[in-house]
Amino acid sequence: MIAVKDLTFSYGKDKQALHGLHFTVEDGEIFGFLGPNGSGKSTTQKILTGILRGYGGTVSLFGQDVSAARGQEFFQKTGVLFEFPYLYANLSAVDNLNYFASFYPKEQRRDVGELLDMLELKPGFLKKPVSTYSKGMRQRVSMARALVSNPRLLFLDEPTSGLDPSGAVLFRKIIAQERKKGTTVFITTHNMMDADLLCDRVAFISNGNLAALDTPRRLKEKNSSHRVVIDYLYQGQRKTKTLEARSLEAGLPFAHDEIISIHSQEPTLEDIFIQYTGRGLS
Amino acid sequence: MGKGFCALFKKDCRMLLSGKFFLMATGFLVLYTAYVNLGYIRFMQMPPYTVYLYDPAGTQTEKSPLLQTVPSLEAMDAALLSDANGVGLDASDGDVRAVLYRGAEHVDRHRADYALSLLQPPVTAAPEVLGTNTPEQKARREITCELLFFELSAVGFLGIAAVLFKEKSMGVIRVHAVLPLRKSLFLLSKLAVFLLSDLAFASLLTLLNVGLAGGAAVLPAVLLQTAVLSLAMSLTGLLCALLLKDFRQFTLAYLLLAIFAATPVFLSANTSIKLDWIGCHPLYHVYMGLKNAYFGTAVSPIYYAGTGGVIALLFLAVRLAFRREIGKEG
Repeated sequence: MIAVKDLTFSYGKDKQALHGLHFTVEDGEIFGFLGPNGSGKSTTQKILTGILRGYGGTVSLFGQDVSAARGQEFFQKTGVLFEFPYLYANLSAVDNLNYFASFYPKEQRRDVGELLDMLELKPGFLKKPVSTYSKGMRQRVSMARALVSNPRLLFLDEPTSGLDPSGAVLFRKIIAQERKKGTTVFITTHNMMDADLLCDRVAFISNGNLAALDTPRRLKEKNSSHRVVIDYLYQGQRKTKTLEARSLEAGLPFAHDEIISIHSQEPTLEDIFIQYTGRGLS
Repeated sequence: MGKGFCALFKKDCRMLLSGKFFLMATGFLVLYTAYVNLGYIRFMQMPPYTVYLYDPAGTQTEKSPLLQTVPSLEAMDAALLSDANGVGLDASDGDVRAVLYRGAEHVDRHRADYALSLLQPPVTAAPEVLGTNTPEQKARREITCELLFFELSAVGFLGIAAVLFKEKSMGVIRVHAVLPLRKSLFLLSKLAVFLLSDLAFASLLTLLNVGLAGGAAVLPAVLLQTAVLSLAMSLTGLLCALLLKDFRQFTLAYLLLAIFAATPVFLSANTSIKLDWIGCHPLYHVYMGLKNAYFGTAVSPIYYAGTGGVIALLFLAVRLAFRREIGKEG
């Protein structure tokens, strides 16, 4: 679906933003693009969405070079959720969606009412101007805008930002549903939980370079100490033991009355990111 | 493409409706029409100066009905005190003497000559009058031209920039970057809405203030000039709104436009002030084009070629600035 080879981009003489990125995204995959502010995430997404020109290397989407495929057909196949909910504040959710949907062929469009229902937008607000909505509600309408054209490739920039926990769960459910339909999803995020729960593969970008690319599970396994910490009770006393995970294959190798908890010492994605790049994600 | 343009056009109309732009334009139309019909024309028909005559012996036989007779010199002084533009004529000692408060020298001469002319018999050989317009028709055309020029150059410029600033602040311009539509349509729909609104405004203003018959006769030429000015000012407004960071910066640009672009044109075209460089001022030519349209005078094809070229260049600059804007960080 997406093939990026030796991608470079510079904002000026001395402002090299991307230093030769190389990755592919398969059809129907959820691909996470993780990096701190100023690492080149947004620049990459803008090149992929056809907004930025003047890059080096090759970028192809749907088997076509992006620089050559700038026609309406290219944009008909992609949906973009921006980090901020960009909507007409004077129009209602329904009017906003009808307006943005009107640029796509009729047979491709999804039903606006159904979409808003799926995104659990309060019915009382459907016809009220967006200026009266909370940030979370605007984000839901923005997600509906990205989905209204039934895109084959969905770009999501910080999809769960500004949402309450139930909203974030709903968004993850919707993204998973999209993948089931065969939609390819490219997520740019800081949110480790989103990346961990949703993405088939994640790429870490730092200072315009790809520091790592793999499935979240494999990244964690590769960087794990393979140890577990066990809290237990023995003869009325609470104790803790750290063991090699393999040593558990033959059962617990110590006397105990009750196991309180077992914690794997697997690193988080953020730990791995810092390990690879030397920088945090904030 | 047609469907996309229609959606954009409809949306821009809604933006203008919600921004009360059409209401404001209607308000301006009512205000200008009231000013022309209830104020300006009446003012232009009034005698230039009130003349007070003190002639206790009745020596002046050829008196104009415009003269106001006063019973004493004290009464004349009192009248001039409350009407400093007025002129007094003291005929109490045989010769007629003009009495007035000093203003500018050449104006004072004019005031005195005008006052004295009211004691002369009417000119028998009427001067040759050029043109077919009556003074009222001439005044109506002149003021309508000025008001339309002001409306298009100042209010239109401000209106289109306000709409774009609103869209910039909402971030929706960036959404259009990823929509399947030709990006130029986003600009063209705005230009079309403002052009149509300006043409409707120009038609109504002309018909209401120049008169139905006279207005209809010059309307095609006026609408052509309106289109030229409307497109040029809308594109300038778009360019400023795209290049400048916020509305505060824009108001500064607006002030500069008002001071350095519009004022010299008005001064040069409507007063005796002669500015040697005014021929190099592009708005002067557009203003004169509009004025020529109101007076039925032909405009050179070079003017149309020039304005067409400027509009095309402005459009290219706006398109470039627009592409830069949609690529900005979110």
